[in-house]
Amino acid sequence: MFSEIVALMRSLAEQTGLAQLYWGNLVMIFVGCVLIYLALVKKYEPFLLIGIGFACVVANVPGSDLTKEGGLFYYAYQGVALLVVPPLIFLGVGAMTDFGPMIANPSLVILGAAAHLGIFVALIGAKLIGFTINEAGAIGIIGGADGPMAIYVTMKLAPHLLPQISVAAYSYMALMPLIQPPIMKLLTSKQERSIVMEQTRYVSRLERIAFPIVIAVIVNLLLPPVAPLITMMMLGNLLRETLLVDRLAETVANDVMNVITIVLTVAIGSTMEASRFLNVQTIEIIVLGLIAFMGGTASGVVAAKIMNWLSGGKINPLVGSAGIASVPIAARVSHMVALKDNPYNFLIMHAMGPNLAGVFGTAISGGIMLALLGVR
Amino acid sequence: MTVPDTLYGAVILSVIDFFLSIVIIAGIGVILFLFPSLNRVGEIDENNLRGH
Repeated sequence: MFSEIVALMRSLAEQTGLAQLYWGNLVMIFVGCVLIYLALVKKYEPFLLIGIGFACVVANVPGSDLTKEGGLFYYAYQGVALLVVPPLIFLGVGAMTDFGPMIANPSLVILGAAAHLGIFVALIGAKLIGFTINEAGAIGIIGGADGPMAIYVTMKLAPHLLPQISVAAYSYMALMPLIQPPIMKLLTSKQERSIVMEQTRYVSRLERIAFPIVIAVIVNLLLPPVAPLITMMMLGNLLRETLLVDRLAETVANDVMNVITIVLTVAIGSTMEASRFLNVQTIEIIVLGLIAFMGGTASGVVAAKIMNWLSGGKINPLVGSAGIASVPIAARVSHMVALKDNPYNFLIMHAMGPNLAGVFGTAISGGIMLALLGVR
Repeated sequence: MTVPDTLYGAVILSVIDFFLSIVIIAGIGVILFLFPSLNRVGEIDENNLRGH
């Protein structure tokens, strides 16, 4: 009788996830818990990290079928893989974003491209260590600090790298308050960080309405490969700026965006299953992504320093790092670093200009890359 | 013609992409410099829009 009980218990145990649990799962469950800790305790982008961390934990419990074909998280991932989610995020971002700071100060727009040198450093680095050119392009775009764009470009160039690239992109975006300040301080003097910029001009309603239409035309004309994303963002922004369809704009900016954020974070976290995540390639991508972020931050600050010199000391170089995109996290980092040296220096609106231009900078880089690599 | 899958190709891709990114975004900047001219064409009454 005892042996029958043991046999039955063994059979029962084999049907649970316990039999398949290995050290890799435990490592990734720990990683998921660290992400949740960073969100809850350190307050690093909780909207992103709670979902990613939780799905990472669940994906590494072997008995769960949530991430397998037909499971709930599998369908969330399909929304990302089939490129349904990224354009919807851009629609929401457009409805949430005030492009006034970018329209009001066009001279800072150039920082949106200058802060993307990191993309190319990572691209060349990835090629040097043996990735194909398409894989290297997808890895480089992590440096654009734009999650949906990184997902979009990766699905076009190297879909098999989506888990690593999306995790790297979103994790680094969330960790920008840790990554950027040391580089910003290293490259600037206290005097430069204390520069108070002039107040920007008033932007009329007509300009605000014209902006999304003009940008949509330019992007569709020059950059067809990334047109779906920017077009949706401009549609969201037009809904917002016309003031006529508040209900639609608010729904897109709140309800749609919230639902899509849950789907996206769950989808990304569910790809962090140990067997396909714990390998050398992942470490390489994570390191290259960090290099891309650091390179972009540095090149943005250096470009802003040059502009400051050319303008006779009117531009605070800290706004340069905001050109890396990741709206509004990077602008907030610029503002916080400036506040430490001058508590009356409210840099946020000035940093928003390059920050918003950075979204276009990433889209332009991604679009040109897709076109040059012959992908549509 | 596409970019070759070599280190040389990666460098060429980076140089062209970075240069064109600067040119296109500078172009957007130039267009934004012209935006205040729109206000000479006319203005939109925000109260009228909100009334709907």
